[in-house]
Amino acid sequence: MIIGDLFIFDNLSKLVATFIAFFILIILIYSFGYIKERKFSYYFWFLITGILSIGVVFTRNVWIIISLWGFLGFTLFQLINLSDDDKASSTAKKTFIVVGGSDGLMLLGFILYAHLTSSLSFNLAVDKQPLIINNGLTLLSFIFIALGCFAKAGAIPLHTWIPHVAKDAPVTVVAYLPASLDKLLGIYLLARIVKDTFILDNWAKAFLLVMGALTVIFAVMMALIQHNIKKLLGYHAVSQVGYMILGIASGTSLGLASGLFHMVNHAIYKSCLFLCAGNIEKETGSSQLEDLGGIGKFMPLTFIFTLIASFSISGIPPFNGFVSKWTIYQSLLDLFNTTTFITLKVIVSLSLVMALVGSGLTLASFLKLISSVFLGKPKKIVREVGFSLYFPPFILSLLCIIFGLFAYSTILKFIEKGAGGIYFSGLWRPLLSTGLIVLGVVLGLILFFFSARITRYSPSYIGGEVLEDEVKSEDFYNTIKDLSLLKKIYNCAENKYFDIYEQGKRLIFLLGRFLSFLHNGVLPTYLVWCLIGMLGLLYLFFR
Amino acid sequence: MKGEDLILFGLLFFSFFIGGWGWWLERKLTARFQYRVGPPWYQNFIDILKLFSKEQIIPSPANRVIFILSPIATLSSVILVTIILDRIIFLREGFLGDLFVILYLLIIPSLFIILGAFSSSNPLATVGGTREIKLMLAYEFVFILSLLIVIIKSGGVFSLEKILDKQMSTSYINSFSGIIGFLLALFYLQAKLGIVPFDVSEAEQEIMSGVFIEYGGPLLGFYRLARAFLYFSLPMLVIAFFMGKNLGWQIAYKYLIIILIISVIKNINPRLRVKDVLSLFWFFLFPLGIVGMFLSILGY
Repeated sequence: MIIGDLFIFDNLSKLVATFIAFFILIILIYSFGYIKERKFSYYFWFLITGILSIGVVFTRNVWIIISLWGFLGFTLFQLINLSDDDKASSTAKKTFIVVGGSDGLMLLGFILYAHLTSSLSFNLAVDKQPLIINNGLTLLSFIFIALGCFAKAGAIPLHTWIPHVAKDAPVTVVAYLPASLDKLLGIYLLARIVKDTFILDNWAKAFLLVMGALTVIFAVMMALIQHNIKKLLGYHAVSQVGYMILGIASGTSLGLASGLFHMVNHAIYKSCLFLCAGNIEKETGSSQLEDLGGIGKFMPLTFIFTLIASFSISGIPPFNGFVSKWTIYQSLLDLFNTTTFITLKVIVSLSLVMALVGSGLTLASFLKLISSVFLGKPKKIVREVGFSLYFPPFILSLLCIIFGLFAYSTILKFIEKGAGGIYFSGLWRPLLSTGLIVLGVVLGLILFFFSARITRYSPSYIGGEVLEDEVKSEDFYNTIKDLSLLKKIYNCAENKYFDIYEQGKRLIFLLGRFLSFLHNGVLPTYLVWCLIGMLGLLYLFFR
Repeated sequence: MKGEDLILFGLLFFSFFIGGWGWWLERKLTARFQYRVGPPWYQNFIDILKLFSKEQIIPSPANRVIFILSPIATLSSVILVTIILDRIIFLREGFLGDLFVILYLLIIPSLFIILGAFSSSNPLATVGGTREIKLMLAYEFVFILSLLIVIIKSGGVFSLEKILDKQMSTSYINSFSGIIGFLLALFYLQAKLGIVPFDVSEAEQEIMSGVFIEYGGPLLGFYRLARAFLYFSLPMLVIAFFMGKNLGWQIAYKYLIIILIISVIKNINPRLRVKDVLSLFWFFLFPLGIVGMFLSILGY
């Protein structure tokens, strides 16, 4: 349904708005138990963000969307900057510059679009035909708009703010914006322009595929070496965006549906993981992996919810992450089969490899998290959190299971309407397989309790020695980091060679040094400059 | 229970029997390589039977739920994979998209072995667990490439049943990319089963069975059962991928060839260090697989 030039209430908008409202509610419940100081400004900016997000989703006019988008960057800045921490304020500044700068790129993209279609009042979900990308200028316009979406959702190369925000901001803010709402908005706009505004050609698809695949692999490699729970989750929040972009890149309705489905799933399990990390931090007072260990015994609920969400994000069947990753692979294979362009075929197959490899690496880094936080020897005794802190993760992990088991009868019907008709070329019946696994486990337990009538508890055996030192599982990647080729890449990453913000900063400081070199305060130098300028003008006017 | 279910049940027992027997064959061949007599053919079965009659020792600092659940979940996921494979290979009843389901279901055993090791809070098990994570990263990547070579060669279908249909005229191993894919799949097989030279996570002499160090009695029995099933289903998967022509009685000699190759590799190689395993898989086999994938896109 389209109302005038301003509003749009179609199925895609409704889908995204429903989930935005859902996450506002869930994180509000969590905040009641978590936020203890600066309540007024927190809830003020929290609610403003929610209203603006819903505004973006239901708006049709591009100029209004751009304004709301800019305000969202500002509220994000305010929410990160809540504490008086120096780190938080520098992170907030970085975020504001990256997100705001990419808003400028997006504006440029829309202006190009307006120039190409020669009309200034243009709307998403256009009445006229979508613009076919067939030359450099149209491709540029698409890339600029897409980069704006990338910065919001957090894809390479504009992802660098997310890990820092994850580490420095309050955990509710992280679960609210980078983990759920920003993903929903960024991917919504990308899906919207792919669906209604542009018709992608091979090069535009290749651009999205390359960006998606690089995002998946680089971010997950960085996540592997993190020692801070929240920063680790932050890098995963980047890496998962790659999958959504890979899904959308195919441009078909199946691809759109898979990207949107992964977006919804990601918002669910990632905010669940962040909230669980908040629980851990609240009870133990630390989010460094070295300080934690063995708390699975004391916080069983948080342990179970983290386990479910971790399996979900690693794509273990039967949880929801598996179903959406699987539909993404399916859309990529469909693209592989339908295209005749050999370069695109190569890119599709390589990005499929990257996506599958990224899934394995995700599992490895979550095994590291689970083992060093929840398993092993307890370092200190803590207790389980209160109701308002475990209820939201409970709901979210329940959704992980429901969307995994009943994907086709619940969420996919909803998404199907949003993305247009879908043809699923493969069907995975999760209920039977899950039933079999559960049956197997139950039978196994019966067999175990029947056969292990004599059970004895004894201290663990370590070659007959009494060892004081503990072996740390969080350092497992050191071997990987030491491999010759990867060592160089990791060194580059640690020196922030891949951080577009740091590189931009270096460039601007270089420029500033050059300018201050010119302004050295010596009168004859200025006179020389005046003379050169005068000569230049004379040449210009009297040549 | 319908007739088809009964057949499946029979096939499952058959798979277990063949798997246990293949495992024995590998042990027997190893014994002959070392001029020993070797165990009788029923050795694995009575080993498992004996384990289930033993008492269960649980380390006191362990996380008991995960410790007990891990072997059982491992076994049931392996059985599920075996059922899916049996249905596809012997009954020709697959479902669309079963390849990725098999890929991800095969990760679950390694996942729970690692979780079980970490939950036992034994330092040596932790060492084994971290090694198993790295090993998993090594072999899964190579298997992914092998899988994609098969998918691309079959023209983009991703159902194992269809892939078998496409191999009616010629097996995929009769081509350059097919040979590369088969090679990668063999390395995967060796590493997934944790056989020398890729037994870094168990390594009896260094870390005393690493991931399994605290397991004994019925819980170790579950792991052994799962291993017997894997000795059937992993070779069958490789056969279905690359030697899919003529899967009647010929499947028997194909299985024997694969077991023979496994045992030969086992007995002529020493154990690699973790770093060497990773270098081999990531910097040699993975690029080889990428080359194989390009070859398969070009139709070789």
